[in-house]
Amino acid sequence: MDIINTVIDSTILNHTFQIWMSVLFTLMMLSFLFRDNPLYKLGENTFLGISLGYGWVQLWNITVVPFLVRPIKDAYLDFQPYDLTFIFWLLMGCTMFFRFSRNKAWVANYYFAFVFAYAAGYEIPVLVQALFIQGSNMMKPLFEQPSFFEISKWFVIIFGTFTALMYFFFSKPHKGLLGKTAKIGILILMINFGASFGATVMGRIALFIGRAQVLATNYEASIVLVILISIFLFVYFKFFHKEAQLDDEMMH
Amino acid sequence: MEKLVKVLKKLDRRWIFLLIFLSCIIPFFITDLFDSDFSISKETMRVYSIIDGFNEGDAVFIDFAFDPTLQAELLPMVEQVVKHCFDKKVRVFIYYPYLTSIGLGQNLLSDILKEERYSRMENGVDFIHLGYIPIDVDMMVFSTYSDFKSTFGNEGKIFKGIKTMADIKYIMTFSGSDHSESYILLQRRFGYRLGAGVTAVIGPDFVPYLQTGQLDGLLFGLRGAAEYEKLRQKHGADKIHNQKANLGMASLSMSHLVMFLFIGLGNFIYFYERKHKSKT
Repeated sequence: MDIINTVIDSTILNHTFQIWMSVLFTLMMLSFLFRDNPLYKLGENTFLGISLGYGWVQLWNITVVPFLVRPIKDAYLDFQPYDLTFIFWLLMGCTMFFRFSRNKAWVANYYFAFVFAYAAGYEIPVLVQALFIQGSNMMKPLFEQPSFFEISKWFVIIFGTFTALMYFFFSKPHKGLLGKTAKIGILILMINFGASFGATVMGRIALFIGRAQVLATNYEASIVLVILISIFLFVYFKFFHKEAQLDDEMMH
Repeated sequence: MEKLVKVLKKLDRRWIFLLIFLSCIIPFFITDLFDSDFSISKETMRVYSIIDGFNEGDAVFIDFAFDPTLQAELLPMVEQVVKHCFDKKVRVFIYYPYLTSIGLGQNLLSDILKEERYSRMENGVDFIHLGYIPIDVDMMVFSTYSDFKSTFGNEGKIFKGIKTMADIKYIMTFSGSDHSESYILLQRRFGYRLGAGVTAVIGPDFVPYLQTGQLDGLLFGLRGAAEYEKLRQKHGADKIHNQKANLGMASLSMSHLVMFLFIGLGNFIYFYERKHKSKT
């Protein structure tokens, strides 16, 4: 056990080892941008395995043991009347497993009935209330706004919403006034999609900047590992990787 | 011009990847050249002024709803909010709605406690990890409005005076998904004060809630984190420990400029070809 503890302390729990592993796996995943290669596959599968393993251990320790195993044990050792509610819901949850049976799958419907009833009873009033709050916020006296900018803002919102909705009105052909309104609606939608695209790009770049910060902060490890990975990729694609030979069937 | 257009059309996308990569990396090495200055948005200012207005002993509830995939944008925000709360001697309750966020949150707090300024903060007195419970946010809010302490099953001096969620002065939810909307939908019913820290991807979806007052303050992506850091530096926090997001702002600007360049080139090629096709 001491040997195992020493090995773990000097590798997995060692700060330098953690930094090098962090840089190595970042570069392995980024190598995909050059071309699909075994390093990327190794990194991807390692990530999958570790995240699943970590998730399952956390799930067992934090959810299953305190909320399932321990209450069952306590109910068995010292049964109390309130344990009946726990047993009822435990059995109800177990009916989900009947989905694996072809003949008895209908048993799970009782549990689903509770789930859908809860969702309908809770979600619908809350969502409708939120919609009414948004809707009532739109009903403001237009010309009593503090500045011209505020007034023009509401004109843009109302006009933009109306024209965008007109684009989706298909009961009449898009000709004449309706056609022109629909064209403006397309423009409004394009501006909206462009803004969403810009925000998405900004978000994704920000996530990459986090990785770039790790690479830049630990530049010694980054330089060494970039060189090693480049050599590996060169050797792999030069001597080991063979392009798939497409036969006649696959070509057409 | 035709040769240039042909070359650009055939440009291997890996050159674009390389340019974006360099535009993100280089500003970290030449920080003086890329000293970015930016204004503070009123949404970030709102979060800052709310927390700054708290008294000693007030409580803030942090919903730590992201895993390591989103830590680049959201972790600096949480770090700054927690440090600001510690400076104001405000109690911090940290709840983890996802299993994968627990380790990240605990590592963050242990890193904060390593700083000399916050080394005296105690778990259970100044802050507490409420852990994870396998229920949805709505159930959690309903339950904490009956009994805050027994919902989470924790003990500590920190719970003194906190009987229900109504005793929490401000709830801050940090998330990269529509998870934060669960708090927003219940805000009008329970009347709590709610702020959010979100990624840039979903940020625009939360702006309508600012206007209705359902959301009182919003930190928007890496820029929001950088703005908060700048505000804290303005009011006395030292630069060394408080500029993770600021360091990334120059990279963000450079990478966006590179993207503008390529979008411009793409549009130029499109309109050039259209013009030449119509001529022929």
